[in-house]
Amino acid sequence: MVENSPSPLPERAIYGFVLYLGSQFAFFLYCVWAFVPEEWLHSIGLTYWPQKYWALAVPYYLLVALLVFFVVLFGINMTNTAPLDSVDNITDVFAQGQKTDVYRKGGIPRLKDVSISEVNKMFYLSSETQQ
Amino acid sequence: MEDEAFTNISGKPITLDCQSHSSFCREFTVSSPKVSIGKVMVYTCSVWLIAYAVFFFTQNTAVLSSAILITLVGMMLHIHFVKVDHESLLVIGSLGIQVSSIYASGREVTTFIEMSKIKDIVINEAIYMHQIIYYLCVLMKDQSEPNGVSGVVPLFQSSKPRLNCLVKVYKSCQEILLKCQ
Repeated sequence: MVENSPSPLPERAIYGFVLYLGSQFAFFLYCVWAFVPEEWLHSIGLTYWPQKYWALAVPYYLLVALLVFFVVLFGINMTNTAPLDSVDNITDVFAQGQKTDVYRKGGIPRLKDVSISEVNKMFYLSSETQQ
Repeated sequence: MEDEAFTNISGKPITLDCQSHSSFCREFTVSSPKVSIGKVMVYTCSVWLIAYAVFFFTQNTAVLSSAILITLVGMMLHIHFVKVDHESLLVIGSLGIQVSSIYASGREVTTFIEMSKIKDIVINEAIYMHQIIYYLCVLMKDQSEPNGVSGVVPLFQSSKPRLNCLVKVYKSCQEILLKCQ
């Protein structure tokens, strides 16, 4: 089994260079389309290009979408947070379905979720006897 | 009567009052800070200044009268429906607990929960907006499961005291609950 590691490899260098050349060429094409007047493009023979309006509109749309995305993501997180009166803050399906094994003397007890009442007693009621 | 320097989660000072009516009946009252007259003056002055500025540009007197009306009605609604003066928790062993909120206008909203429905009163931590807070809550018993929790009733929701206040109330409540649940 070949190990996957993020170290540089010759193939990865070639992929990176190809991507770099491709992105530079795409940007050059975008600048040509945005700046060269339509008559020159028509005179060469390239007639079926999108409207110049989109040369400005697409970057603007992307930037606004990015800003709105952050706001909406924050809002979705707040909406999905359980309210203070929901049972999801106390327990859930997995904690309720866990088995209670009989404690064998000298053995290690099974790992399980401790109920909130026990946790509270340990934290707040036993401080007079301990420490 | 006990009055230490407790604060709520935003840092504003609150007061806790514990009264022990008998060995199995205790009442806890958490009072929020009162409406400060300075804040009221600042709000009304700013709203009226903005309304006067709008009137200066539009020359429409309805703006001024509607601003006055909005401030008056808004203040009345706020002290009647929003501003909680104090919240109290009354624990009566083997009978139940009574939770009540008294608003600044005197309105009182009370709920009584029978002891047979209560599983426990615990301090739980939960995510609230951008922070994690401690809050005291009543766990309700589940009829179908002996150890299940069917509902949660959070207490002291408007005043939201911090942990030192909650631990005091919790210890006091547990003394009664362990004796006579």
